[in-house]
Amino acid sequence: MKTANRLKYFFRKPHNIILVLLFVSLAFLTLVPLFSLIRDTFIVHPSEIMSVRGAKINDVTLFHWKKVLLDGTKSFKLFYEPLWNTLKVSLFSSIIAIFLGGSFAWLVTRTDMAFKPFISVVFIFPYIMPSWTLAMAWLNFFRNKLIGGAPGLFTALTGIETANWFAYGIFPTSVVLGLHYAPFAYILIGGILRNMDANLEEAALILKASRAKIIARINLPIIMPAILSTFLLVFSSTMSAFAVPAFLGTPVRFQVLTTQLYRTLNGLNPGYGYIMAVVMIVIGLLILAVNQWYLGKRKSFVTVTGKSSNISFIKLKKMRPVISGAALFIVAAIAILPLLTFVVESFILAPGNYSFSNLTTQFWVGLGREDIGGGEPGILLNKSVYIAFWNSLKLSAVVALVVGTVGGLAGYAIVRGRGKKLSAIVNNLAFFPYLLPSMAFGAIYLSMFAKPIGFFPSLYGTFFLLVLIGSVKYLPFASRAGINAMLQLSGEIEEAAIIMGIPWRKRITRILFPIQKSSFLSGYLLPFISCMRELALFVLLITPANRVITTLLFQYNEKGWNQWANGINLLIIIAVLSINLLINKLTGASIDKGIGS
Amino acid sequence: MKKGRMLALALLLFVSMVQVFAAPSQELIDAAKKEGKVVVYSITSRIANAAKAFETKYGIKVEAYNLKDGELIEKVTREVGGNISGADFVICQDSGRVYGQLIATGYLVNFVPDSLKNVIPAQYQNPLVFQFINKVFIFNSEKTQTPVIKNVWELTEPKWKGLVQFKDPKLEGVNANFLTMLTSPEWSAKLAKAYEDLYGKKLVLTTKNAGYEWIKRFFQNGLILGNSDTTISENIGIKGQKAQTLGLFVYSKTRYDAAKNLALLPMPDVQPFSGFMYPAFLQMTKNAKNKNAAKLFIEYLLTEEGFAPWSKDVGSYSSNPTIKIDPDDKPVSYWAPRLVFEDPAFLFENRADVEEFVNTLSN
Repeated sequence: MKTANRLKYFFRKPHNIILVLLFVSLAFLTLVPLFSLIRDTFIVHPSEIMSVRGAKINDVTLFHWKKVLLDGTKSFKLFYEPLWNTLKVSLFSSIIAIFLGGSFAWLVTRTDMAFKPFISVVFIFPYIMPSWTLAMAWLNFFRNKLIGGAPGLFTALTGIETANWFAYGIFPTSVVLGLHYAPFAYILIGGILRNMDANLEEAALILKASRAKIIARINLPIIMPAILSTFLLVFSSTMSAFAVPAFLGTPVRFQVLTTQLYRTLNGLNPGYGYIMAVVMIVIGLLILAVNQWYLGKRKSFVTVTGKSSNISFIKLKKMRPVISGAALFIVAAIAILPLLTFVVESFILAPGNYSFSNLTTQFWVGLGREDIGGGEPGILLNKSVYIAFWNSLKLSAVVALVVGTVGGLAGYAIVRGRGKKLSAIVNNLAFFPYLLPSMAFGAIYLSMFAKPIGFFPSLYGTFFLLVLIGSVKYLPFASRAGINAMLQLSGEIEEAAIIMGIPWRKRITRILFPIQKSSFLSGYLLPFISCMRELALFVLLITPANRVITTLLFQYNEKGWNQWANGINLLIIIAVLSINLLINKLTGASIDKGIGS
Repeated sequence: MKKGRMLALALLLFVSMVQVFAAPSQELIDAAKKEGKVVVYSITSRIANAAKAFETKYGIKVEAYNLKDGELIEKVTREVGGNISGADFVICQDSGRVYGQLIATGYLVNFVPDSLKNVIPAQYQNPLVFQFINKVFIFNSEKTQTPVIKNVWELTEPKWKGLVQFKDPKLEGVNANFLTMLTSPEWSAKLAKAYEDLYGKKLVLTTKNAGYEWIKRFFQNGLILGNSDTTISENIGIKGQKAQTLGLFVYSKTRYDAAKNLALLPMPDVQPFSGFMYPAFLQMTKNAKNKNAAKLFIEYLLTEEGFAPWSKDVGSYSSNPTIKIDPDDKPVSYWAPRLVFEDPAFLFENRADVEEFVNTLSN
């Protein structure tokens, strides 16, 4: 009787219901795959009968672990060296992303820098582009005689030959990934900075604290959770990024875990790949633990009490034109310039020849010529481009709706249940998918859902499976956004509503959501964009009927049919921007979360 | 005179009979049309053009999906293994894996159209070969039309450091197969002999055999690995480059010469090999849903009409010897003694070792 009452009381709180539901479904969708992944490191797969001598498919074996960890030079080249490279790349790119994104977020939200609306929108372009297209732009620009062919634009214009370390390998990989994920830092840190109550700063100003001190003692501690979240997100993302190191590293044989993972999953030794995936997850978990430890250390920062209305901009004074100019120059270099190269490259016929006579509309509206790219018709006449594009839009929209809603609710429930074990568990579960390297995650879902499980029919080849994996994978974006939004929101606001007898649904839709609208909406928009440009997650699960635009794009890039690739890339960017604009017009929110305005 | 005429007449009769034979049976066409659709996974992108032509001819819808060799093998393994309907038939490559992982397991099923049983040489019938593809040493021919190397060991000399390109064998199984074949007794003996012919002394080994030795020195001589043969063909072929470069890539890429302003020529007489040649197989899947449409399409692809997207360029050789090759190209019989071929059994046994070896070679 007593327990029944306790249960009844427990479930009277909406956040408890949400927590329980999330716990059950996330355990099934993330923990089961994890066990299946670990199991995969111990069994012989069909393609391994070539290397595991005398074994039969599905035999249990320690072969993979021995080979990956304990085989001297071979293990070193296969695993340890790529692991070390991965850690370096992830660390460097996280630093670049946080520094660049954080600086821009601060400049846009807290200073009187000029051109804010423009910079604010353009800064996120690199995130909209699929990451490897930035790598292609880098190659277009900085390629040198090492790989031959037409000289890069930079060399063509300045006559300076770029150094090999600058053109290929760890440096460009880190920079490109850093630039690609800088908008993350910008959105997450900017969101907090913008909503931060300026009273704190003003109080410090009144107390005659120096600007440096205010940043160090007030701004930084408040945005620290966001910086840590960003670090965690960027580090994990770059760790599982495959295409950028593949394009920039191959010429100098720079190996990271994912390039090995990709080769092994599609090659002779998927077992090795599964081990590498496990290692990546463990690294992610370690960072997550540090993050948790830090967040647990400080109890809470309620920094938003209602909507902060008085934001005081720091006057840049004499530095204003300099800083504004520099900021403008940087966004132009990292966001506009690549776009321009995509436009130009999609119109040229013979590679490397930028003369007017070499321009052609062949790759946009041409019927297809046998002597270039095997008779593939131009993008705008290409049936498969349209189908794939539509699939991508559909998929991204559905995923965004699911993720944004579930994530927002998760954020609410996690924060309201704070301090309870269940809340902590769900918090970690909701974040966990982010630590699963996309490609391995796809591989696991493939083997999990290729056969019927209980009452679940086989999902392979269905649109639903793509939605499912996308939703699970991107839940962390939305749950983080939701948590960050809710953490800043004083509980008193909802308590006041409860006292007034306002039902839960209304409290959410009329009070909480509107106050932190921009944060919650970023929980819808981030998954949408990420989904539009995602490749690795879907590549194994795609069937001809539901192929998405990025698979097509990557295929063109891989084949070296760069004109089509560049054109499609432009289409993706234009589509995302238009949708962003539309949402902006309808709701006032935007990807850059209207940081500028 | 009369005899000659008789012979010509007989030949004509024979040809027309073959042609009658060559047509698929009406039964098959009807059954295929009833299915109305066929799904194919293919390692060659030109399948799209063949698909279009096939759709127009028979009104049967084709879903053609272009995949990389390893991807295709993985997909078929999962789909057929899990009894999920995917491709009805495939055009696949990478002999070692295709035999070991797909044919030995019964995932792929051989089908030779009746009309072609007497046309296609018996050794290409099981598994049925669709075409042969060759990757050869190709050089930038802007400054000179004469081949720039005569012996593959030259590529291990400082002179060629950083000037040779090859697609990363991790990214394409057939490239790994080629390297694996070099370590076979046959090719390592030939490589050892080529070394002696060139330098007049015996090769001193630091590895298992001359094959491994060449691979090691080839890779460690600043070999540039690429992501795609198309890109490599541009990197090598673009006019106006200072350095003389060369690459080992798909011969058919030279078809882009005119449109892309490239200067590329093959070197068919390098000792002991000028590159390699590998088969692409035409196989039905065990759980094919549209069996008849698949059969009809397979038959179509082996006719002159169906092979048209490939035959109009160099570097594609149908298993059907009656299909003419590009006039600028030479037949398989010309290439055979010059190129390294795949031996599925040897590959199955040794590919993993060679891959592992290659992975330990740094610049």
